[in-house]
Amino acid sequence: MKVSIDLDRCCGHARCYAIDSEIFQLDESGYALRSDIDVPPSAEEKARLAVTSCPERAISLH
Amino acid sequence: MTTAQPEPAAACPVHDYTPYERKPLGEWTAFYDRLRQEAPVVRNLFGRGYFIPTRHEDILAVLQDPETFSSEAMVAYEPDPAYRWIPAMINGEEHRQWRRQLGPYFSPREIERVDATVRARARGLIEQLAGRGSCDLMTDFALKFPTAVVLEVVGLPEEDLPFLLELEEDIIHAVGDPEDVIRRKVTAIDDVKRYLAGKIQQRRASPTDDLITKSLDIEIDGRPVTDEELLNYWQFLVQAGLDSVAGMLGYFFHHLATHPADRRRIVDQPETIPAAMEEMLRAFSFIVTGRKVTKDTEIAGCPVTAGSMVQLALKMSGHDDTFYDDASVVDLDRGTSNHLAFGAGPHRCLGSHLARRELQVALEEWHTLIPDYRLGEGEPITEFGRSSGVNTLPLSWGR
Repeated sequence: MKVSIDLDRCCGHARCYAIDSEIFQLDESGYALRSDIDVPPSAEEKARLAVTSCPERAISLH
Repeated sequence: MTTAQPEPAAACPVHDYTPYERKPLGEWTAFYDRLRQEAPVVRNLFGRGYFIPTRHEDILAVLQDPETFSSEAMVAYEPDPAYRWIPAMINGEEHRQWRRQLGPYFSPREIERVDATVRARARGLIEQLAGRGSCDLMTDFALKFPTAVVLEVVGLPEEDLPFLLELEEDIIHAVGDPEDVIRRKVTAIDDVKRYLAGKIQQRRASPTDDLITKSLDIEIDGRPVTDEELLNYWQFLVQAGLDSVAGMLGYFFHHLATHPADRRRIVDQPETIPAAMEEMLRAFSFIVTGRKVTKDTEIAGCPVTAGSMVQLALKMSGHDDTFYDDASVVDLDRGTSNHLAFGAGPHRCLGSHLARRELQVALEEWHTLIPDYRLGEGEPITEFGRSSGVNTLPLSWGR
C-alpha cells in the first residue's frame, strides 16, 4: 500500500503523526515531511485511520 | 473592497440575536443546532450583520480558502479591527514566513519536550485541591494551569499572572454595549502591549534562552522583525494560550462530572485518554472565529458579497449530523480526530500541540489524584454565544 500526502494541503494538525510517528514523519515545523510513503502490510490499518483522521483531507491511499 | 451592506439573500434565513447574551450551559449549543437544521447558511443582523455557515463542509471550505475568506478581521461584528494579531490576522507570503519560523517552537516534537514541565504544573495544582473535597474548576484549576504553563514556556514571571488575567478578561470576556466592549478591549490590548513591550526591551538588553529572546531573530522578507510586529505576535499568543485551554477544560470536566461511565473509563484505562480527548474536542469545539470576504462569492448557494463578514462557530462543524453519526453524542469510541476544534487551513491553531498536551496531562493527572467527583453546589453554569467557556464549574468529591 502507498500513501500520498498533499503537502500543499497539509496544515500541520499532525493527526497522522499521532497515529504512527515512524510512517508519518514531520519536518522541523511539524508539517508532513514526505508526500509519498510505502506502508508495510502490518501498518495498513493505521494508514486508513490516518486518512479519515486528517481534518484537511490531505492523505490518500493507492 | 466595498463597505456596502450585503442584501440578505432569499435562500438565507435572517436572525437578530446578540451573541453576548449569557445563557445556561447547553442552550447556545441547542440554538446553533437549530440554526443548522434551518439552513446551510443563516445571517445574523447583530453588529453590521454576518453570515454563519452551519455545516462541516462549508466551514472547512471557508477555512481552507484564505484568499476569498481573509482573516484580516476575525470577529464577525468587528469588520474593521484596530488591531492586527500575528500570525492570526496576516495572510499570504508574510503569513507563511511567520509560520515557518514559529513552527519549530510549537511542533509536536518540541512540545513533547515540555511534557515534564506541564505535568509538574498540573500535579502541583491538583495536589493542593485533592484534600479540599470541592473546588470551582474554572478559578481553582482551569484558568491557573494553562496560564502557568504559558508563562513558563514563554519565559514570563509567574507573579505577573493576576495582572494578565485581569486584562484578558477585558479583551475576551467583556460584556455589555458592543461599542463599550470594543473600547475596553482596545484599552486592554494597549495595556498588554505596554507590558510585553517592556519584556521585549528587557530581552534585547539582556538575552536569555526563552521564547521572547528567540523571537527577536525572526526575519520577514530578509529584514529583522519590528517591535510592533513582535508585540502583535506576543499579545495574541499570550492571550490565546491563556484562554482557550481553560475554556475547553471547563467543558471536558462538566461532561465527565455528569457522565460517570465515561469518567470511569478514563480512570480505569488512562491509555484511552488521548482518544477521549479528541472526541470531547469535537463535541465541545467552543471557539468562534470569523473571516472577511475579499470578493463576491457564495456559500452553499447563498450569495455573499465582498466586504461581508462570515462567522465560523466551530462547534457547528462538530455537531453536524450530515458529517458525524449521532453528532451530539459524546462517543469515546468514535475513533477519529478530524474535527475542526483547532480550525483548519493555513491558520490552524499554532498552539494546538501545546494545547493538546495540556489537556491530556490535565486529564491524566486529575484522574489519578481525584478519580471520583460530581457537580457541586454553586452559581448557575452559563456561557455566551461566542468563544466563551463556562463562568464556573463547581465540583465536589470524597464524602
